[in-house]
Amino acid sequence: MSGPAEHDPHALTPEAFRAEVHSFEFWFGAVQGYLADRAYGHRVDAKDAAPEGADRDRLVTALCNYCVGETAALEGAGGLIEVAPNRPTKIFLSTQAVDEGRHLEVLIHRLRELGVEDPEAEIARRANPSLLAFKRRLLELVKGGDWNAALFAQNVILEAMEFAVFHQHAAEADPITREVLEGIIKDERRHIGFGENELGRRIKADPGIRGHLALVRRELDALVLETFEEALASLGAPASAREDLGRSYRQTVERLGFA
Amino acid sequence: MSHEPEVPRKRYELEDTGFDEVPRKYRKYYRRWGGESDELAGNEVLCPVCKVVVRSNREVREGDRIYCMACMTRLRVVRVDGRLEGHVEY
Repeated sequence: MSGPAEHDPHALTPEAFRAEVHSFEFWFGAVQGYLADRAYGHRVDAKDAAPEGADRDRLVTALCNYCVGETAALEGAGGLIEVAPNRPTKIFLSTQAVDEGRHLEVLIHRLRELGVEDPEAEIARRANPSLLAFKRRLLELVKGGDWNAALFAQNVILEAMEFAVFHQHAAEADPITREVLEGIIKDERRHIGFGENELGRRIKADPGIRGHLALVRRELDALVLETFEEALASLGAPASAREDLGRSYRQTVERLGFA
Repeated sequence: MSHEPEVPRKRYELEDTGFDEVPRKYRKYYRRWGGESDELAGNEVLCPVCKVVVRSNREVREGDRIYCMACMTRLRVVRVDGRLEGHVEY
């Protein structure tokens, strides 16, 4: 027999399900599963086999740009707490802000492990101008209190592309970078799902929102797509990987009703 | 008008497969997807949002509603080209 004693998630009402997965308690139980035995995102005893020469340089550039994306997401998620329309979404965003802060910290730590003495300076030097432009615009949307547009830019455009790129990169990365990226991917599942579902519900209630979000998409998604396609190309990913990136992102926006 | 009696659903005993992205009490209801060659059992549906396999302790059928806790998505089970798929329901 299935029942509450078995904690069958499929027996929950939609309201009870949302309350459960948006809670800090759920987040805590989730991250304990894959972070409890880690330090800075990887197993303490994991052997480093970092690339050298030009490959190392390309990895540093990719990680620096991931740091730009994660900083945008950290500042965005933090700012959105004030804008969020209700208490459960504010609580969820507080867990997302913690996740984004962790991502930034483990990526900077990885840069140091790769021999980068001043990660902040290196990030400033290697940051892709398109990604910086995206970050500026995202934070303008957050400051303007435009919940729908800011959430779309951050949790759909940025997070969906990061999710796809980190997947592709992790498959080819050295063992420690792979562990760091895999931990981030596990967090990103919650962020992309939250964004898509929250916006999906709002569009269902008011289809007129879609027109406004289409303008945001037209302005911003090329900036992020260009950055991450470049990152994958520089890491030597095959053309099929770059096509996968575009396809994964398109599937998300198509589900939300954008052709 | 006659109705065919519904065939009872097959039951499944779920075991923890090492999926570690949800709190322990929910882990057996999910597993990692092994890619295109991964054949899903009668109690499993792939989440289209985050590509995790969602599992039930009974056979899933068209019209069922199930949840992916890894990405917080509600799914409706639909039949497409003879195969059961999870479609997002906002």
